[in-house]
Amino acid sequence: MNELETRLATCFKSVLPDLPLADIQNANPDSMEGWDSVDIVTLFAVIEEEFGIEISIDDIKLDHSFRGILSCIRAKQQK
Amino acid sequence: MKLIDALNIVHQRPPEGESPCLIYLASGFNPLHFRTFLAAELSLVFKNRAVELETGLYGDLPGNIERLSNIEPESGVIMLEWSDLDARLGIRSLGSWAPNVLPAILSNARARAEQIEEIIIKAGRYAPLVVCLPTLPLLPVSFTPTWHASALELELKVCVESLGAQLAQSPRIRIVSSEYINSLCPPAERWNLNTELSTGFPYRLQYASLLAGAMARLISPPQPLKGLITDLDDAVWRGILGEDGVDGISWDLNCRSHMHGAYQRMLQALSASGVLIAAATKNDPQLVEEAFQKRQFFLPRDAIFPLEANWRPKSESVERILKAWNVGADSVVFVDDSPLELAEVAVAHPGIKCLQFPAKDQVEINHLLLTLRDLFGKNVLLEEDLMRVKSVRQGHQQQQDRKQSGVTPGQFLKLAEAEIDFHFGKTPLDPRAIELVNKTNQFNLNGIRKPEAYWQTWLKNPDSFLMLVSYKDKYGPLGKIAVVAGRRIGRKLFVDFWVMSCRAFSRQIEHRCLQELYSRFDVDEIEFDFAATDRNKVLEAFLNDMLGEPPFPGCILRRALFLAKFPQKFHDVEEFTYE
Repeated sequence: MNELETRLATCFKSVLPDLPLADIQNANPDSMEGWDSVDIVTLFAVIEEEFGIEISIDDIKLDHSFRGILSCIRAKQQK
Repeated sequence: MKLIDALNIVHQRPPEGESPCLIYLASGFNPLHFRTFLAAELSLVFKNRAVELETGLYGDLPGNIERLSNIEPESGVIMLEWSDLDARLGIRSLGSWAPNVLPAILSNARARAEQIEEIIIKAGRYAPLVVCLPTLPLLPVSFTPTWHASALELELKVCVESLGAQLAQSPRIRIVSSEYINSLCPPAERWNLNTELSTGFPYRLQYASLLAGAMARLISPPQPLKGLITDLDDAVWRGILGEDGVDGISWDLNCRSHMHGAYQRMLQALSASGVLIAAATKNDPQLVEEAFQKRQFFLPRDAIFPLEANWRPKSESVERILKAWNVGADSVVFVDDSPLELAEVAVAHPGIKCLQFPAKDQVEINHLLLTLRDLFGKNVLLEEDLMRVKSVRQGHQQQQDRKQSGVTPGQFLKLAEAEIDFHFGKTPLDPRAIELVNKTNQFNLNGIRKPEAYWQTWLKNPDSFLMLVSYKDKYGPLGKIAVVAGRRIGRKLFVDFWVMSCRAFSRQIEHRCLQELYSRFDVDEIEFDFAATDRNKVLEAFLNDMLGEPPFPGCILRRALFLAKFPQKFHDVEEFTYE
């Protein structure tokens, strides 16, 4: 994992502490039990704080998988 | 604290053994991340206990507060926002703001505030409560421009302030200070419109964290310090007494030394609320006494005990003051304008809190006053606070009389007309019991500190008992000076907590406590949950004397052995039971 992925993985781990580190890169709410809307809202709040970016309601509607969120952060950082 | 840090704290494996600390959080909004921050802050406060935080239903503040009585948590946290008084004061409602509707909004808010007050006071019977009144900015409800305070806005603020003032009358309800919150975060930086609309959570993360920290501090407040030792020259007054003379020192506006007067006023207020005040000054003692006699200080001479005026190092004066007070250096603040004196005292008395008196900076003096208020601040003033200064003086006098009398300690207690009262009530819990357990160091069975919330739960155990001990003699009352708490199981008593104020030493009160326990509970033996701490040598020595060997965790004192060691009674005793 590169630095950005590691930082994002740390965010995932703080919200979903039982998720093994090895599985985080493939994490996807559709394929995971116990990943609910509160977790998603919390995850986005942590990401906003950690990366200093704002995630809008439209962003939240996007792909919530590790890869999807990673793309979203990259896009925002490039702006 | 950042949210990621709060989550990591909350997700840590809870410690085993101790029962979890149940806290109930009632709000009308979605507490979401505030809940996480509060759980994290409380986990840091209750280090050895897991924190369980229960919340209510969205949009039903009154109902959520009422649910608290079913849960009976150790503490309740109640968060109000404007929309709890009238939905139209919140962003998620689109109810009319037309001018003709404003009186109805105000009238509804007043009625709702009255209802909430009633429910909160009722809930306070089931748990100590921390209440936060609305802190978010008011929406532009009124027809006035935002720089114009409308009658509606002012009336609404009166309504919540009045609610807070009523609730604050109860010793079981603590209100978050809006002044404190304002000093840390301006109103414009609190609200998160986006998350309020998307999730119902109205706070920015940074603000939620700050608020959670303030509320955790109210749930489990830091222990106030006990005494303040102050320099006199260029602190209590401006000037050097030995050089400027009695008439040359000042503390007033005309001499531009007013903040020294403000410092005196603070010391006088601290003294009147039970803080021990002493002075350590390099001065001619006669000149100092002359200054107190001739000049009208805001800080009266009799509020200062002891007053050490000499030319020796200040650390020696501090040593004598600590001995006269019988308190440890870590419970004391030393204030001096000289960095050299502060350093000398700090080295000689590790743990003492040294604060420089910024004699040349009025603004910094004001900051010092705020710092002192926080270091010595209390949630309630007890009877013992009001008599502390006097009783320390009386104790000193008693010691001197005893030395001069030449009689045995027991005989002296008879002559002193010593009286002890034992109080066995468990409810309502006397706040002095908690204060004693959390403040006492030298006569403390194991150094374990517990918040009020813990005691409320612990005392519900039918086997538990709480003995609060009061003392007085011809020198005056000491008030409630000792607490023994434990459990009775069969013919054995387990003492889990035992503390006694250092003001009550050398009066054989500890012996009389044990005598009372054997007698009242008719038990054959007492087991002590003793643990040696850095500070509890006095209690350790007492148990060593009773047991005939050094005490250890779970040490047992049999009745026969105790009676053989201590057959006498030197005090008149009264026993009270409130259940």
